[in-house]
Amino acid sequence: MRGLAATFRNALAEVRSNRASFVSQISVMVLNDIVWVFFWVLFFRRVGSVRGWDGRNILLLLSVLTAAGGIALGVLANARRIGTMAVDGQLDAVLALPVPPLAHVLLRRVEATNVGDLVFGVVLFLSAGSPTPARAAVFVFAVAAASVLLTAFLVLAGSLAFFAGRNEAGELGFHAMIVLGAYPIDIFAGAAKVLLYTAVPAAFVSSVPARLIEDFDAGSAACLVAVAGVFAFAASASFTLGLRRYTSGSVWTR
Amino acid sequence: MFGHACVVAIEVQDLSKVFETGRRRHRRRVDAVDNLSFSVERGERVAYIGPNGAGKSTSIKILTGILHPTQGEASVLGVVPWLDRRRLAARIGTLFGQRSLLWFELTPRQSYRMLAAIYGLDRRREEARIGELGDLLEAGDLFDMPVRSLSLGQRMRCELAACMLHDPEVLFLDEPTIGLDLLAKQRFRELLVRLNTEQGTTIFLTSHDVADIEHVALRAMVINHGSLIYDNEVVAMRRALLSTKLVEVGLSRPAPAPALAGVTVLEHTETTMKLVVDTVTTSIRHVLDDLLDGLPVADISVVDPPLEQVIASIYGRSAV
Repeated sequence: MRGLAATFRNALAEVRSNRASFVSQISVMVLNDIVWVFFWVLFFRRVGSVRGWDGRNILLLLSVLTAAGGIALGVLANARRIGTMAVDGQLDAVLALPVPPLAHVLLRRVEATNVGDLVFGVVLFLSAGSPTPARAAVFVFAVAAASVLLTAFLVLAGSLAFFAGRNEAGELGFHAMIVLGAYPIDIFAGAAKVLLYTAVPAAFVSSVPARLIEDFDAGSAACLVAVAGVFAFAASASFTLGLRRYTSGSVWTR
Repeated sequence: MFGHACVVAIEVQDLSKVFETGRRRHRRRVDAVDNLSFSVERGERVAYIGPNGAGKSTSIKILTGILHPTQGEASVLGVVPWLDRRRLAARIGTLFGQRSLLWFELTPRQSYRMLAAIYGLDRRREEARIGELGDLLEAGDLFDMPVRSLSLGQRMRCELAACMLHDPEVLFLDEPTIGLDLLAKQRFRELLVRLNTEQGTTIFLTSHDVADIEHVALRAMVINHGSLIYDNEVVAMRRALLSTKLVEVGLSRPAPAPALAGVTVLEHTETTMKLVVDTVTTSIRHVLDDLLDGLPVADISVVDPPLEQVIASIYGRSAV
């Protein structure tokens, strides 16, 4: 644990080494998110609600999604890069150290731009999520579970590169989760909806947590934790198995 | 096998690694390491050399637990690298010339602090060790500068400190002097020899730079197409494997070049002569006798061929 804490300390020190750049990247992302929210607010002012989702619900959804995305893509920035690292042989430096490789990889890179999402998500919840101590506690729980799930999904998709030799699945998975997670689950139907609750669990990264904050339900909370747990286990197992096939960039022709 | 771990640092038996590349009909096998066997005793300085794609880096990565082999056995300090990577990593150091242990935007000391925590050194031991390495590598004044501001030579000294921080028993170095200037290379080689003689660290070095091998290693292993094709002392390698000697003669007055069997004149001036002697055709003693008897010799010396030539000769024999 001391080694992992020291790794994360260095990752934070590195991203903050250029303070002006750190602050400006966060600010730009917050501005970007504000514009995005602005359009959603305009949309719901015109249409009122869509399949039970109104402007207030969508702001909760976006606060969870941006906060969880900020953790998975900003604080644990390498989650998105697992596939590239596997294909390009960038894991050598990690594997040469006596560390748990996945935890070390995840903690060794912080990206300021996406930390801006985390800041935005928290500020959005505090300003538009009608925060009370109880709702704040559920928000923290929901964001924690959603970020574990999103990180695990990115690691799982990226780990496919160990077996496929390419990283298309990782990139596709990343875009699918972020894009589809930005919409309320109830606008989807049929197979698409099933997909978003299972193989690409975008519903559990945004819609389910947002509903929990609005109307807490122990069954849904347990379901969210269970899904996050299953994906975390699958991610850890696929990464560990993948390391057995790691080529360290030694395969010249694909 | 592997029962004498107290003296043996590295033991490898029938180790193979196959990479499969391409897809479907274009799929092909690449035998990166092919039935490799050798052993290295503790405290040795070994050069592990071969042309590009010979399997050097792949075998080092197997020995450090980074890659899993396709088949075969290996043990480093009594540990099977790919089965117990973390335990082994705590006892060895690895330095890959093209990969960095240091954080680019931070100072080396910040990286050392993280590594010390990973290796379980307490703060007192960490400070003492950083001080020792700063003195040994004459790099203490670099430890508080951002890595991005260091020259390549300075950075490599800091990299070496990073992989020596936990006092490893075996040091694996893969092309450690790549990109360094001549002076920095020389200094780096001297450091490796000092680490070996003063701290008993086993050195396992790959390099394309012949001078690294000549100045650091006492033993050379040559690998090609994934197999070991030569294993001997560096001095013996130069003497035994090339059947030529270079004879440099200083003349007291101008003289014609001698016509001797097995001798080729490389260079001839009024005061000097350089001759290549094929020791298969004739003996060096016989040539020296003839030269001393027939020429106004002021000075004479016999030189071994350059190691590049020796290695090229080994590759040539292997290819045949």
